[in-house]
Amino acid sequence: MLEADVIQYRGFHNIVEDGKITGFQVCVRSDYYRGVWLSQLRPGRVIVDGELFPWDTIIWNINGKDYTTAEMAENSTDFWHVDKPAILKIKKDGGLSQGFHDVTVRFFASCSYMPPSYDTFDDNTEFTSFNGGTYTRKNMCIV
Amino acid sequence: MEKKIKRGVSIYSYSGEYGRTMDLEDCFKDMHDMGATGIEILANSHIDSYPVLSDEYLSKWKSLCETYQVEPAEYGHWIDTRLYKNRNMTGEEARRVLINDFQIANALGFHVLRTKMGVINGELAPFPEWKEVILSVLDEAAKYDVIMCPEIHLPSLLQDQFVLDYVDFINMTGTKNFGLNIDLSVFQNRFNVEGVVSYNQDTRHNEPEDIIPLLPYVKCIHAKFNRMDDDFNELTIPYPEIIRVLMDNGYEGYLISEYEGINKNVPGYVSHELRKQHVMMKRILGY
Repeated sequence: MLEADVIQYRGFHNIVEDGKITGFQVCVRSDYYRGVWLSQLRPGRVIVDGELFPWDTIIWNINGKDYTTAEMAENSTDFWHVDKPAILKIKKDGGLSQGFHDVTVRFFASCSYMPPSYDTFDDNTEFTSFNGGTYTRKNMCIV
Repeated sequence: MEKKIKRGVSIYSYSGEYGRTMDLEDCFKDMHDMGATGIEILANSHIDSYPVLSDEYLSKWKSLCETYQVEPAEYGHWIDTRLYKNRNMTGEEARRVLINDFQIANALGFHVLRTKMGVINGELAPFPEWKEVILSVLDEAAKYDVIMCPEIHLPSLLQDQFVLDYVDFINMTGTKNFGLNIDLSVFQNRFNVEGVVSYNQDTRHNEPEDIIPLLPYVKCIHAKFNRMDDDFNELTIPYPEIIRVLMDNGYEGYLISEYEGINKNVPGYVSHELRKQHVMMKRILGY
């Protein structure tokens, strides 16, 4: 089962590669009531304690598979389910420090059955609707 | 009395809890409590192996239907025309997805599909190529014994041009594999009700008798509801009048509850609202 918040406490930790901390990951659930093909996703920025990580530098891991945002944009065969989290992997030398962090994630999904205006995704606003938006969770804890 | 109109639930209603505080079996259990006999699932939400139907899911599905005495009533799926950021899906892509959904629906025991079309404007008119796409899969729909039903939903009206086009299409082709799903939101006639968010700014709506000429084409009805009071009345949609029209004019099929009100993510809230709505429907139906 997932946590009620879009941004999950669980799954938040630094990423270690070859003995070095190269970044961190954070898990999100979809806030849309239905799962989506990856090409329907409009991935956005991540902000941690005011530091911005641009949308196209983030790797999304869905069903155990890593995707760049460019790969997702063309992928209409793989699917993100509502009851499974996506893992966002973010490069940052040394990772995040031990203790609390405020995390913001932005993403949307296209919804063809609603008027076309619902599918205008702008990464630089805070607009949130049923099919996505900006989500923040404070005091996320790195051990 | 023969029970021609049956009560069901779209488990879309539980979307604020699904995957968090409720799983698929919890939905079945809740429906069983209220004597609802038909379930609507959304393929894209409630099949955890979608777009594949896994053996595990299929066997769990059969066992849940049997345990809780619930039958497959409607299978929700989409023609996601705006599939990509920079282009729409092609007719061939639409065909592929549709046939895959027919196969899954058939395996799970569904005959009625809610086929959610991509739209092009604020009145929710479907994408212009819908006829070609639907024509291209009619043979497969017959083979898998399914009826595609686009949903007519607020702010659309029953007399909108595209609804007439659907009816013409059924008459011209003579197909048995295309019909209509009417969402009762088109009859919503109260908009300033506390705790109800209005998505219909100009408040245009249908009267209950407007559905009569469409009934031969209606394969499923979404019993949309926004707010129940504690005397078992729905506060925004004229249920007694609508159900009377359906009974008097021989509608046979499901009323599938779809909760669209507040507090969907409060554990238990929707289950309580559904119970109240089903008390209302039982009282009006007389069984």
